[in-house]
Amino acid sequence: MQKAERLLDLAAFLLRAAEPISWREIQEQFPEDYGGASGEAAIRKFERDKAELLELGIPVRYLSGDEDRAAGYLVDREEFYLPDLGLPPEDLALLYLAGSAALARGQFPYARDLAHALNKLSFAARAPGASEAAAVAALHLSGGGESQPGEGEAAAWLQEVSQAVAAKKRVRLVYAGLERMRITRREVEPWGLYQRDGAWLFVGWCHLRKAVRTFHLRRILSLEVNQAAPRTPDFKVPRDFSIAEHATREPWEYQRHPPLRARVRLDPPVSPELRSSFGPRARVTERRGAEVVELEVTDGERLVRHVLSLGDQAEILAPRSLRARARRELEALWRRTR
Amino acid sequence: MSATRAPAHKADARDRLRRVLFLVPYAVRHPGIPVRELAGKCGVSEKQLLDDLDFLLGVGCPPFAPDDFLDLYVERDRVYVALHQSFSRPPRFTESEAAALAAAAQALGGEGAARVVRALRESVPRDRRALFDELVHRIYAGSAPARDSLLGRIHRAIAERRVLRLRYFAATRGAEGERAVRPWTLAQALGHWYLYGEEAGRRKAFRLDRIRECALSEERFEPPPEAEVSRARLFSEPRAAARVRLGRRAAALALSRPGRYRVVKRSAGGAVVELQAEGEDWATRFALSHGAEAQITSPPSARRHYAETVRRTLARYRR
Repeated sequence: MQKAERLLDLAAFLLRAAEPISWREIQEQFPEDYGGASGEAAIRKFERDKAELLELGIPVRYLSGDEDRAAGYLVDREEFYLPDLGLPPEDLALLYLAGSAALARGQFPYARDLAHALNKLSFAARAPGASEAAAVAALHLSGGGESQPGEGEAAAWLQEVSQAVAAKKRVRLVYAGLERMRITRREVEPWGLYQRDGAWLFVGWCHLRKAVRTFHLRRILSLEVNQAAPRTPDFKVPRDFSIAEHATREPWEYQRHPPLRARVRLDPPVSPELRSSFGPRARVTERRGAEVVELEVTDGERLVRHVLSLGDQAEILAPRSLRARARRELEALWRRTR
Repeated sequence: MSATRAPAHKADARDRLRRVLFLVPYAVRHPGIPVRELAGKCGVSEKQLLDDLDFLLGVGCPPFAPDDFLDLYVERDRVYVALHQSFSRPPRFTESEAAALAAAAQALGGEGAARVVRALRESVPRDRRALFDELVHRIYAGSAPARDSLLGRIHRAIAERRVLRLRYFAATRGAEGERAVRPWTLAQALGHWYLYGEEAGRRKAFRLDRIRECALSEERFEPPPEAEVSRARLFSEPRAAARVRLGRRAAALALSRPGRYRVVKRSAGGAVVELQAEGEDWATRFALSHGAEAQITSPPSARRHYAETVRRTLARYRR
């Protein structure tokens, strides 16, 4: 019997059962699949099938026996069917909108899962926007939809890394690093994924650098997920790991040198966008009609670049070293423009 | 340059299982649904759907008597289900399905985001909820773009087809202004959320985090054509494009970010890119953010704008 058919047969059998089904009965009913092999091999095969069903959202449970009931396996109907989410229509609309926009964008972790989820949701819980969401999901599943030029590979890496993050499997990368402008081969434990400026990055433990590193999906030249023992995690993610902390880290907060306290003056009018471009940890005070941003910097070069990109509305006041650097850069640029 | 993937047949088998777990209950709910429509809902061709239906005829449960099989049949190009064998509703979300939805909802934000994440958690099988909790904390799809109350009003305006009056910060002008917009939909691009709609007969996109205030008016409008909404083209009309030459390092940095530029030329030593929108101020900012590694090559007005900005900024540091 084909595996797909066997899994569905097993699910149907356990779903219909009113009482737990014993292992012996399962073997009797599926003699070709679980009956012929040695006892241990058959059990292992059954456990693999059980795990696959669980991965499809079908929870097969083992119930211990007691005085009234024999021990065995069961799919609890309450636990099987997608329940009514119990959300008001506006929350469902938000879910449809957020899900379909993420999918239409072309790059999102677990994109295929997202499409399946929208499909299930669209008819399990009706609300305005359901049919549009289902249409986007169907388009995605059929392999259609638009993708930005050059994004195909990054989109493929995103799906690979997503799976590796979920299953906690190591990845081997060939990576075009920016810092040293060198192509390296690395083994990395992917801990989490984040999006910044429309690009996806992942954070993890790099065995080459023996440190936590961030990897830009668009700089990956090739990627291989460890296929050995797919259901056994290769690593543990540290308890104190926070993806949000990495995602909100500004370029000047990467560890390149000991921390420096910097002050940047912003001339009015200061828009909230300009203020927030210094990140959530910057402190802003008013001084003589201008705003002064105070922040801690561990990569001075990146702060200089950011401040210069704001043109003459911004000026580095301190430390002197960064102010001098900004001036040197501007003098070089000025000479070149003349 | 290819990823190592699971063998195709394995992925296909899993995909087929997920698909049939959706299509059987869908066909139960919609008796007589045309083959074509059901195939469309599942994102497959009609032929593939018919193959799936054939496959399902062999699925059943012990003791495999005639009534123990699934029974789906096609009559006059319509699909009917005679026996569904308990597959009458779709299964719960897997942890990655729910986590993907949760990440998308959190990135959009809004008053309901926290409720939505809780409800998604409840709809994952109990044994997998710990995995969902872990996964949801390991994906960050961006911070919420607008204040809750604001997003709520925008949702309402889209649903009720009511014109929105916005106070909006236009980055190209560096100033706020009043706008009247027919809101069509929300869309995500380049890591930001946009309200997409029509203003004075032109399609426009407004970044949600730049909407300072908004109010619903009593003025209503006809729903836009579906094609327009699904296209959801972002950004206003492109202006005269500026070309920028980038050094090797700047090119590596810029090209790894999906930006509003087109790569004109790429070589080992760098790249030439064309900034497609937003005008000279944006070109100057872009070039300055790459220091000596970037040079605006055309048009002359953009070069002048850049030189003038460098001169004025340098003057500040010479004081």
